[in-house]
Amino acid sequence: MFVALAVGGGLGTAWYMIEGGSRLSTRTFGPWTTWVAAGRPDADPYTRAHTARNGLLPLASTLELTYRAKTDSAGGRLHSACEYAIVMESFDGAWWSLAAFDGQGRLIQNAAERYGYNSDTAMREPDGRAVITLARDARPGNWLPIGGGSRITLAFTVHDPAWAAAMYDGGAGKTMPQIQKTACR
Amino acid sequence: MKLPRWIRELDWRAVVGALLLGGILHIAATLAVTALGSGNAFQRMRQTLPVNRMVILPPVAPGKEPLPFMVPDALYAMCRYDVSEDPVAVSAALAAAGWTLSLHTPHGDNFYVMPAQQLRRPEVSFVVVPGVDRLSDYAPAPRRTSAPGSQIASPSLEGLVVVRAPLRGLAWRAEAEALLRRASCAPVKR
Repeated sequence: MFVALAVGGGLGTAWYMIEGGSRLSTRTFGPWTTWVAAGRPDADPYTRAHTARNGLLPLASTLELTYRAKTDSAGGRLHSACEYAIVMESFDGAWWSLAAFDGQGRLIQNAAERYGYNSDTAMREPDGRAVITLARDARPGNWLPIGGGSRITLAFTVHDPAWAAAMYDGGAGKTMPQIQKTACR
Repeated sequence: MKLPRWIRELDWRAVVGALLLGGILHIAATLAVTALGSGNAFQRMRQTLPVNRMVILPPVAPGKEPLPFMVPDALYAMCRYDVSEDPVAVSAALAAAGWTLSLHTPHGDNFYVMPAQQLRRPEVSFVVVPGVDRLSDYAPAPRRTSAPGSQIASPSLEGLVVVRAPLRGLAWRAEAEALLRRASCAPVKR
């Protein structure tokens, strides 16, 4: 029994720390989670294992950070059966990209062949904000199609060395985009 | 407070042993995932990329993602470099914000990255050479190339060069592709 507990506990906690992360290796802002040392040669073993196991190729987190969200801001699991509005603000001057994936990091097939927006392609409101709408059917503005009846993972990449460095040193992040559920089928 | 009988009957030596064994397995599993690396990005790209040649990847699309969670509204060029015999010269043009030229070890460590910057020439060129701890494995003098430009020491003999070209819209796609085609990666003969 002790051997089973040792094996299960040792491997189980390793899997948890590598896949989900902990406060040792990740930081969370609302629904968004980032691996703060991703890509860095001096990253902790959990971050390096997470990168290797998932086949990721991140830029050093002192230059660029990628946040992933599996839930909306209210804590509900992101799902292609629902619609969401994501408000992008306070990222002036930084290049960013927002894309929708399935749980394994694969793009979601759609007839519009639109898989993401970045700071150059997103249409702005008069006040400078960009509102991106995730929905199965076409919507005015920045429509990011989702479909297939599956769970969604959003990836938000921000290329801002000053912010990334501050985050790595434990500083506060900018206001992260809110993910608001607007409708569900 | 009286503890349950099954707890009182626990052998503390077995508990300590289980904790130690669990800890050892935890550490071993964590390190093994990185060291074995069967599913890491380098292994996934190894079959599709020739050695020391820059390749423009097809646009990221469903079912054709080179790697998980890649920024989809961007074009990529990659080179699988190998500096075990000769240094490798790398050059690229980084046109606008978001463009990057990065070097990664087989374990995914990004040991060098050059982002596009407004007040700098877009052209970037350097030579990748083996890192200091690899020089002993390297051929006798001359150990460094005489090629002009900066030298970047790679901590591993193999790795990936990645040029990312974010798209500003479909109208800019041809321009981005043309710039990406200028990226190169080739061995420097000594």
